Amino acid sequence: MTWREHRRNTIVTTFNLNGRAVSVHSPGDAPLLWVIRDELGLTGTKFGCGIGFCGACTVHVDGRATRSCITSVAAVAGTAVTTIEGLDDEGKHPLQTAWLELQVPQCGYCQPGQIMQAATLLKDYPNPTDRDINAVMAGNVCRCMTYIRIRKAIKLAAARMREGVSND
Amino acid sequence: MIRRTTIAIVGAAFVGLVAGLVLSWRASIAPIDRPAPESFSADSVAHGEALAAAGHCVSCHSRPGGEQFAGGYGVNTPFGIIFGTNITPEPSTGIGTWSLAAFARAMREGVARDGSHLFPAFPYYAYTKLSDGDIAALYAYLMTRRPVIMTTPANTVPFPLNIRALQEGWKIFFFESARYRRNPSKTDEWNRGAYLAEALSDCSGCHTPRNVLGAEKIRKAYSGALVDAWIAPALDAANPSPIPWTQDELFTYLRTGVTPLHGTTGATMTPVIREGLALPVVPDSDVRAIALYFSDLNHASQRAPTIEATLRQALATSSVGSGQEYDPDANLYAAACMACHYNAGPVPLSARPELALNSALTLSDPTNFIQVVLNGVSSHGGAPGLVMPAYASSLTDSEIARLGAYLRRTRTTRPAWTDLEKKVSAIRRQPAASR
Amino acid sequence: MISLSAHGLRSSSDPSRRSFLITMLGGALMLGYARSGLAALPGVSAGELFEPTIWYGIDRSGTVTINVIRAEMGQHVGTALARIVADELEADWHSVRIVTVDSNPKWGLMVTGGSWSVWQSFPVLSRAGAAGRIALIEEGAKLLGVPVRTCTARDGAVHAGGRSIRYGDIVARGDLRRRFTSEELDRISIKAPGKRRLIGRDTLALDVPSKVDGKGRYGLDAAFDGMVYARPKVPPTRYDSQVVSIDDSAAKRLPGYLKSLALEDPSGTVPGWVVVFADSFIAANRAADLVRVTWHSGKAATVSERDIQNRAAQLIADANGGSLVVDDPGVDAILASAKQKIERTYTTGTVMHVALEPVNALAFEKDGVFEIHTGNQWQTLILPVLAKALGRSQDTIVLRSYLLGGGFGRRLDGDYTVPAALAAKAIGKPVKMVCTRADDMRFDCPRSPSTQVLRMSWGDGGRVTAMDHHAAAGWPTGVMAPFFMPAGVNRVPYDPFSISGADHWYTVGAQRVRALRNDVAERTFRPGWLRSVGAGWTNWAVESFMDEAAHAAGVDPVEFRLRMLDGAGRNGGSAPSAVGGAHRQAAVLARLAQKVGWHQPTPRDVGIGIATTFGQERAMPTWVACAARVHVDRTRGHVTVEQLTLVIDAGTIIHPNSAEAQAEGAALWGMSMALYEGSEFVNGQPRDTNLDTYRLLRMGNVPEVEVEFLPSTEAPVGLGEPATTAVAPAIGNAIFAATGARVRHLPIRPEAVLQALAYRA
Repeated sequence: MTWREHRRNTIVTTFNLNGRAVSVHSPGDAPLLWVIRDELGLTGTKFGCGIGFCGACTVHVDGRATRSCITSVAAVAGTAVTTIEGLDDEGKHPLQTAWLELQVPQCGYCQPGQIMQAATLLKDYPNPTDRDINAVMAGNVCRCMTYIRIRKAIKLAAARMREGVSND
Repeated sequence: MIRRTTIAIVGAAFVGLVAGLVLSWRASIAPIDRPAPESFSADSVAHGEALAAAGHCVSCHSRPGGEQFAGGYGVNTPFGIIFGTNITPEPSTGIGTWSLAAFARAMREGVARDGSHLFPAFPYYAYTKLSDGDIAALYAYLMTRRPVIMTTPANTVPFPLNIRALQEGWKIFFFESARYRRNPSKTDEWNRGAYLAEALSDCSGCHTPRNVLGAEKIRKAYSGALVDAWIAPALDAANPSPIPWTQDELFTYLRTGVTPLHGTTGATMTPVIREGLALPVVPDSDVRAIALYFSDLNHASQRAPTIEATLRQALATSSVGSGQEYDPDANLYAAACMACHYNAGPVPLSARPELALNSALTLSDPTNFIQVVLNGVSSHGGAPGLVMPAYASSLTDSEIARLGAYLRRTRTTRPAWTDLEKKVSAIRRQPAASR
Repeated sequence: MISLSAHGLRSSSDPSRRSFLITMLGGALMLGYARSGLAALPGVSAGELFEPTIWYGIDRSGTVTINVIRAEMGQHVGTALARIVADELEADWHSVRIVTVDSNPKWGLMVTGGSWSVWQSFPVLSRAGAAGRIALIEEGAKLLGVPVRTCTARDGAVHAGGRSIRYGDIVARGDLRRRFTSEELDRISIKAPGKRRLIGRDTLALDVPSKVDGKGRYGLDAAFDGMVYARPKVPPTRYDSQVVSIDDSAAKRLPGYLKSLALEDPSGTVPGWVVVFADSFIAANRAADLVRVTWHSGKAATVSERDIQNRAAQLIADANGGSLVVDDPGVDAILASAKQKIERTYTTGTVMHVALEPVNALAFEKDGVFEIHTGNQWQTLILPVLAKALGRSQDTIVLRSYLLGGGFGRRLDGDYTVPAALAAKAIGKPVKMVCTRADDMRFDCPRSPSTQVLRMSWGDGGRVTAMDHHAAAGWPTGVMAPFFMPAGVNRVPYDPFSISGADHWYTVGAQRVRALRNDVAERTFRPGWLRSVGAGWTNWAVESFMDEAAHAAGVDPVEFRLRMLDGAGRNGGSAPSAVGGAHRQAAVLARLAQKVGWHQPTPRDVGIGIATTFGQERAMPTWVACAARVHVDRTRGHVTVEQLTLVIDAGTIIHPNSAEAQAEGAALWGMSMALYEGSEFVNGQPRDTNLDTYRLLRMGNVPEVEVEFLPSTEAPVGLGEPATTAVAPAIGNAIFAATGARVRHLPIRPEAVLQALAYRA
């Protein structure tokens, strides 16, 4: 592998990650998930299946939940990417607070993805019905099966957000 | 007897060839010194900028990542790759020595300054309809761009099709040089839209099918075509979107790249919207005019009463499969797609492309559906702020086929697509699109 | 610790052989405990840290650091164990922190599974906490200058009259040298339930905060400077495949690719493995897809699920062979002469673990110690295997602990650490081995398919006279921890994790339970301990069968069971863990029936089915009753679970919030396995390699779930698995109640329901 060959394979992708600009050297089709985890060192976003079927890799791209394991880094050029670490400066997004209060996580591995997905759910449907929750959370697997509490926490956070309740 | 007939046929062919060559010969127009940029008025240049945007000249005359208007972009045609030329005002490799007359002749008749014929990959058959004022404005704009030295790569059209003189024959059959003719029974806005669409933006260039020699089938204008491995849908009454393209819908779509009732842009339409027709260069009034023209073409107002029912019907299917479901196809959809594509109603959200309203599912050809599932939509490939992952590495051909068939039968009332899995395999094997 | 395996487990006449686990494991814990109690406090000077036992220490700031040997995998075990210590210690809960320790011989047996953690640790940790409290009161009294009898300990301080001194100050200023012999520790009495302040009350589990902000560190997140990445090429069979050639010519063109190696494995854990190395996971992943390996496939490459189940049936049909776990005299004679009897066969298919974090490990040598960084449930089991693989002593290998992105028994088998370690040794660099989901599923130790045959006879009035239960499956313990196998009545060892559940608490007259070991299964794959293990399939049979028998005998299914849960003889239970025996099972069942309105009519095509189990094992019974209300679509065979109701008696509940969470999660696992999951062996490999074809229960599939715990002050037992065991048979029984159709295979597919509807025998 010559340096020239190596260089040909790599592009520079610039995007915004949790509020700061980053430039990444990688193959253009490198999965965003591994760029975030290994190149940029943010391990809160997880790897579960690699084919977009479990949701553990969910991040926000321009504010919308996206499966980063099957999104190439080139596809997010110029966008704002948010991971669980950047959802709230103090980790106190109403969803995170509700998750804590109701002790939603068991093993916790899927929960960053669940929370990120739920954030988009509430942006679209601030007063979600069970049907909305079932449909929008359908892609997020919880192997510990904490779904009952996830649903409760979504509704709790939604109610608070509608009332504009502060987190302090 | 045979000998005489043969001589006659050969003779006639010889005469025809000579006549053709004679007819095809066009004079060279003398080169000029590049006009000083100051010689063009600011208004003229600005006007030309708006026209160049609406005509999205950059899409063929710039390479991705290359200098603007310096050419080098390979247009895939059935006859080979034809490269967009350098139209910066650079004297040796661009059009720096072209007078207005030479420019106008190229635009109106498809003949270069040196008298050679241009391939109809350059849609002079559309630009011929432009007004003199607009041609002059475009000239002003282009001649005030930054000159770039860039030699246009040779085309890959095989012999003998690459003989430029033969383009004359093509023109005899398929081309008529004429200005846009106003339709008196339509409003000014309609005519403005028609002028922009027909003369400048050349929507027909992608949305009208072509014959084997690459000419648009005039009688099938706007009935849809395959472009760069995606389908540019019909824009006339045969448009397959369940909800008609009203003026408002089209305006929103052409302005933003997405509407709640139709979905998002993709493939080669995206640069038309995001770079071509974009603000601030192309004003709302022009985009509204184009929208009016095409809303008339697909008889939207006649179909408007059906919108409510169609919408309700579409949303009724949006959460099918999210419960305790045993249909493996429904489960596949719920696991991989529903989270983003579900809509609660009463109207879909722009950020949630509603598949039941999307032409990708209602086109009789599944190409667009297959392409978008395989390749996703990148941040620059679709509407701003909407990214869809690519499922090529995660779904098998069989799974994509099952998803397509499932959505077709549950979200539309159209007959089933045929040979879906084979089509997925074929499209997957195609090389990536040029842009 | 492994030396414990040699003795005591195979004594056939030992009446407590069924409580071998208590003996063996309790002994190990006692060993760890006693050693610290007797040894001088190592290198700790007065004023720094008070460590009355190895289980915790208190520093001069009053912080109580509790050492947790259990893996944190969602059950919040660290919090539960800390509550046990802190309650007796009278610590201020806000001063408590937990450390999930790395492997070390001083801890004794390190295992997290079997739903054992709280049950095993409770006696030890309560006494440890109490010992600390006693010592602190003694020293606090001295520092306060008052008699000990005037002092009480409360909220991290010793109080006397109006004065008090905080634990931290006692540590700093006092001279804490009180040591406890193991006999003294044994004699310490712990609080009466009414005096508990922390146990039984809710609190925020200490591992939860790091799980909502992305800060929690799992094995997959481990990193080390200079590490390279590796991804395996999994051979076509679990055993006996041999590498013939490796062609990495395509991979060589990939930037970042390093090389590919066939692993030499002296431990025999990963025969035929090739690992592909690169400088990033992205590159290793791609490179592995480009590397072409040819193997000489092992013999199991032709084995199918049908072959495995055929062998199971064959083993059962042979009256000789197997291990007799229960063998009351006269079973055959009674069955032969009975006028009323039934026989039924039940089967379960292959089930995959699919812990959401695929298996992985980071391995490197540092300062003479070989470190393995990963989540793991049984450090003690894998350390000797690693020692053999690496050719070094166990003392020089350490497993560093991380959160587990799912255990469920997959990580009881630490086999995934071996290739990482071998790879690191081979390449001379730190290696992070990551399995993709497909690698993980192909390298799973799945729940073995099972076949079971049950017979029952009864006399007048439906009184049961004999019951016979034969179960054949691959034995996980037989393969991975044979020293854990007790001997059956006929002196043949059996895997308790393959048969527990069949040794139920019903009084059935003469009872026989025979466990058969499926050799075809075991030469094809490594059977795994998958959440509830054998109790997951034995109870499918037992509780479906009880309903079928009740129906055949013309007795109401609840009534039929309650009659047999009379607590007679050995079913009366024993102290400390099974006080009350069958009476407690009867109690949860009766409460459940009342709760769901058992005798009330249901709408058409809707039925309620019940099932009751005793959780994981007779030595540690968790009493569970489950009712499923289902609707059956007769035209499509679709089963919709409308509601699951569970009543559980788990003895003392340490952390109610977590107990409820475990019950809910385990119940949904049961439903997922009953209706959605299931794979099958095809050509020696499980057919499913990712979630596009292996279906897990998702948000929209969740029914109404209600869980009730019966209040109890009995010994705490297990909760990680028990609720799983009763759900599938409850669903099967509900389908029958709704339609008269009987299904006997798990998972229950619509085709089977339709077939059963058509058959309706």
